[in-house]
Amino acid sequence: MGSMYRASKTLKSSRRAFSVLSNSLKSNRRDPLCIGLYQAYGFSSDSRHSSKEPTIDLTQFPSEKIRNFSIIAHIDHGKSTLADRLMELTGTIKKGHGQPQYLDKLQVERERGITVKAQTATMFYENKVKDQEASGFLLNLIDTPGHVDFSYEVSRSLSACQGALLVVDAAQGVQAQTVANFYLAFESNLTIVPVINKIDQPTADPERVKAQLKSMFDLDTDDVLLVSAKTGLGLEHVLPAVIERIPPPPGISDSPLRMLLFDSFFNEYKGVICYVSVVDGMLTKGDKVSFAASGQSYEVLDVGIMHPELTSTGMLLTGQVGYIVTGMRTTKEARIGDTIYRTKTTVEPLPGFKPVRHMVFSGVYPADGSDFEALSHAIEKLTCNDASVSVAKETSTALGMGFRCGFLGLLHMDVFHQRLEQEYGTQVISTIPTVPYTFEYSDGTKLQVQNPAALPSTPKYRVTASWEPTVIATIILPSEYVGAVINLCSDRRGQQLEYTFIDAQRVFLKYQLPLREIVVDFYDELKSITSGYASFDYEDAEYQASDLVKVDILLNGQAVDALATIVHKQKAYRVGKELVEKLKNYIDRQMFEVMIQAAIGSKIIARDTISAMRKNVLAKCYGGDITRKKKLLEKQKEGKKRMKRVGSVDIPHEAFQQILKVS
Amino acid sequence: MLKTTISPIILSFAGKPKASRFIFQAFNKVVLQDTTPSARRNASTNLTTLHQGPPTSAYVHLPFCRKRCHYCDFPILALGTSSSSSNVYEEGKEDDPRITNYVDLLVREIKATRTDFDANPNLETVFFGGGTPSLVPPKLVSLVLETLTLNFGLTPDAEISMEMDPGTFDGQKLKELMDLGVNRVSLGVQAFQDELLKACGRAHGVSQVYEAIEFVKECGVENWSMDLISSLPHQTLDMWEESLRLAIQSKPNHVSVYDLQVEQGTKFGNLYTPGQSPLPSETQSAEFYKTASSMLRGAGYEHYEVSSYSKGDFKCKHNLIYWKNKPFYAFGLGSASYVGGLRFSRPRRLKEYTNYVADLENGAANWCGTGVVDLKDVATDIVMLSFRTSKGLDLKEFGEAFGSEVVKSICKVYEPYVESGHIVCLDDMRREVMSDEVNTLVASDEAKIENHVRYLRLKDPDGFLLSNELISLAFGVVAP
Ligand SMILES: Nc1nc2c(ncn2[C@@H]2O[C@H](COP(=O)(O)OP(=O)(O)OP(=O)(O)O)[C@@H](O)[C@H]2O)c(=O)[nH]1
Ligand SMILES: C[S@@+](CC[C@H](N)C(=O)[O-])C[C@H]1O[C@@H](n2cnc3c(N)ncnc32)[C@H](O)[C@@H]1O
Ligand SMILES: [Mg+2]
Repeated sequence: MGSMYRASKTLKSSRRAFSVLSNSLKSNRRDPLCIGLYQAYGFSSDSRHSSKEPTIDLTQFPSEKIRNFSIIAHIDHGKSTLADRLMELTGTIKKGHGQPQYLDKLQVERERGITVKAQTATMFYENKVKDQEASGFLLNLIDTPGHVDFSYEVSRSLSACQGALLVVDAAQGVQAQTVANFYLAFESNLTIVPVINKIDQPTADPERVKAQLKSMFDLDTDDVLLVSAKTGLGLEHVLPAVIERIPPPPGISDSPLRMLLFDSFFNEYKGVICYVSVVDGMLTKGDKVSFAASGQSYEVLDVGIMHPELTSTGMLLTGQVGYIVTGMRTTKEARIGDTIYRTKTTVEPLPGFKPVRHMVFSGVYPADGSDFEALSHAIEKLTCNDASVSVAKETSTALGMGFRCGFLGLLHMDVFHQRLEQEYGTQVISTIPTVPYTFEYSDGTKLQVQNPAALPSTPKYRVTASWEPTVIATIILPSEYVGAVINLCSDRRGQQLEYTFIDAQRVFLKYQLPLREIVVDFYDELKSITSGYASFDYEDAEYQASDLVKVDILLNGQAVDALATIVHKQKAYRVGKELVEKLKNYIDRQMFEVMIQAAIGSKIIARDTISAMRKNVLAKCYGGDITRKKKLLEKQKEGKKRMKRVGSVDIPHEAFQQILKVS
Repeated sequence: MLKTTISPIILSFAGKPKASRFIFQAFNKVVLQDTTPSARRNASTNLTTLHQGPPTSAYVHLPFCRKRCHYCDFPILALGTSSSSSNVYEEGKEDDPRITNYVDLLVREIKATRTDFDANPNLETVFFGGGTPSLVPPKLVSLVLETLTLNFGLTPDAEISMEMDPGTFDGQKLKELMDLGVNRVSLGVQAFQDELLKACGRAHGVSQVYEAIEFVKECGVENWSMDLISSLPHQTLDMWEESLRLAIQSKPNHVSVYDLQVEQGTKFGNLYTPGQSPLPSETQSAEFYKTASSMLRGAGYEHYEVSSYSKGDFKCKHNLIYWKNKPFYAFGLGSASYVGGLRFSRPRRLKEYTNYVADLENGAANWCGTGVVDLKDVATDIVMLSFRTSKGLDLKEFGEAFGSEVVKSICKVYEPYVESGHIVCLDDMRREVMSDEVNTLVASDEAKIENHVRYLRLKDPDGFLLSNELISLAFGVVAP
């Protein structure tokens, strides 16, 4: 119902302008397809909009009336909340209706209060510039995630934009992802509109933040907008600034159609939905289009905008951002970053995106070994909506058949597991995450390792060299914690690259660190030693030579492949000891003594034992009333289902993923 | 567990609620259809039909106690210790309306139990449990026995047991009870230390225990048993050894040793956590169990069930009915019966029990429960009950009833525990089959394991001590 209301509201303003615009369009164009426009006009796939009541008419928004921008910021600085306010202001969503952070639609996003997936919303806005007559603008807003794991979402979003609102929390100031995202936008030559948000907070210090923006990014203090997305203070200046400062999309309307495919997802009813940004030319429903990378051609069955729900418009014009539906069956056919063009024309492909790099790999196994098929199905479906996960089948002697999945980071991995459970009802066991390593043997062969189990514990040839991936990390923190943080970084084998003062109180540190050292608990540790005041971001860097060894975990002498891990030689003893300790806490007492050992090759580096269970008997079984006792045994039986039996030792599912919290 | 190696029992069939002749025939038919030809030949002795015949045992609940013990969660009615009377033996006075009214109800319940079996064999065992049945005046016990005899018949050599508390009977009362036919006494001693008895809230001390033992001997009760509880709060290994020694010295021909169960809602449940002081640690408690097993066996007792020890032929016949998954009647407050394959518990509250008896009389309630007999339940019952006994699970019988596949599956999950010595495998002659031989049998595709391994039993005491773990493992394959 809400979307209908919004659609007709925008119509009021657009109908007046229609005749003028369509006339001018008609005369401007030699394109014979122009006629198709009139047929397309009034089209709607939404049956609630009957044909006599035309819906949104995009023809009145030529490039100069379009602005495409992303909202970028450090995590939690208020991007999604600001997006809410802007959508309310433009009548795209109704004020007070729907949940806060409207665009965070996934259950994981709502539960965790973070944005995981970038979302686009098209808004219509009437702008009065001084004494000029008010005129209608079409604005495409893309709300992006703040967490470092999802920075590829930011890059993609920026490629469909000419400008970005760089949001900074008035109390927290510039943080690590502010820096990272600023550079992403800056390097893409986008116009940056700095916005200091949360000025309603008692601890807000906008002047200090302004100074930071000036010193770090050379942004003019006069250009900074001060707002509170919570109270609405200062909000009225945001969209006028967007219109005045951000240039319209540069595309050429009478060139052949060229579109960037910047996202896709699978919809139960419509099939694959492709999010596109029209760079040049125009697109109409019924057009035949080809995808450059895949070489496939399709008919456009539906085309429209995200308003913020999918709303058919029958067309998309130069500079506009919207969606198309084709007969495509799986999102695998829709390669993100691909160029879409009109079939039988030739165009220069757009630069596209650099491929995502998987930072961590982990095994995903069905909790109930027999449910492999169900897991396989769920993973296939979920990867349709999260193409950034890599998936390959693997087998573990301990856990049976499963998959090795590559993720962008641990949060991404967590979110993937949660979505598997929540959206597909599958219970999974995930194994200790690992980063990808390279090993070289004395016979000259090299081995890429994404699963420690795949690295032979006692290899035929000697390992002559090994390499591990590194990252360049940015840490911003109050100066009083610098000592502690430098200690942490050197403990994690980091190399300092930069140490500067942002202002009197804040320090900017840059380190090269092995990815392995930051992947698990680095951020938690950093937060705890800085009372939460440090922020952290990283980008991938090259591999470095490193002395790596495989640590096996043995239970009663039998190696458990799913528990093996690769570590730096210096840390092997510590990690081995910690793993043994952790496992001891997770494994319940068994009917016999369990010996836990950590080993490098055949050398035992740590050991402990879990003494045998002494007694579990219900001696009182009275008067033939066995029902209660039986219930107890049934419960015990059920409990055993939450265990994986390796050899004769029962390991609870949680153990496999929980013991990862070992540095 | 892999699907291919473990095969669960998938049979199940519906029965009608009433224990009429009709359903028993219906049960037979279904079972006959679902079992293999070899099983059909033995249908009359098949485990799946065992519970279908008419019961020859009855449990009778007499709920009165002087006061509730701190560990007790049984359905009881506390009478209160009378201070006016100097003679404690008069507590259950003949005209106490609480007792007479209850016995009246009980008699009505028995009478309202109309059976419709093909054959009507006499009762072979009767068990008066409690509560404290010895508080009930012999005259009233006599009334109950008469009613049972009238309704079901009673064989002349029936085992008639009664639970008795020290301090609630004297020689004369016991004599009267024996004259009525009571021929087995189960004496609730629990401990031989006054401080422990006190801590349990028992209404008697050690001196009454000795008196009671004297009465039993004086009256010439040949078949008597003593109950002891291990792992009581503040109990030490020395105390426990002392109790066992004194128990052995008093020469009962049966001893029941119960490991304390800390039940929710009891005084102990509110005060204590198992394994934590003042209760003994798990290790100590296991030590107590092992000590009982070795001392009693050393004194010539056979450890024939998790908590039961007997000399010679004096196993409790009534309890054996339970362990064999045979049917039995039950009468009285909160009691549980097993007839026609259905387990049924009567109301635990007096008011509801009173209504139940009235409903039974006017046909609104039924005395054996309603529901569906699920063969999986029968199988798990048999597994659970058999493993409590030293005889163990008869794989041949079990295989005939539920299929060889499931026998193999059980052996497969138990492989590591045969090796670790928690489970003992025995052949037809009850000679031990060694673990490597068992492994070979399990690995073989052809071998029918039950032809080589006839019985599986829990090792005494290590297997018994972990019986819950081991039995629930078998549950996992019998009824996943
Ligand atoms: N006081 C105050 N709180 C705000 C303001 N704007 C947002 N918040 C709060 O800040 C928290 C984070 O807001 P979000 O909009 O989810 O932040 P985000 O930047 O989208 O977060 P991610 O998508 O996870 O990076 C929420 O609790 C908001 O209610 C503001 O102007 N003032
Ligand atoms: C029905 S009870 C009591 C019978 C009788 N009133 C008496 O005290 O001897 C039968 C036996 O169960 C045992 N028992 C009762 N509650 C128990 C518990 N919570 N834990 C262990 N054994 C218990 C006691 O040994 C008791 O003798
Ligand atoms: Mg957000």
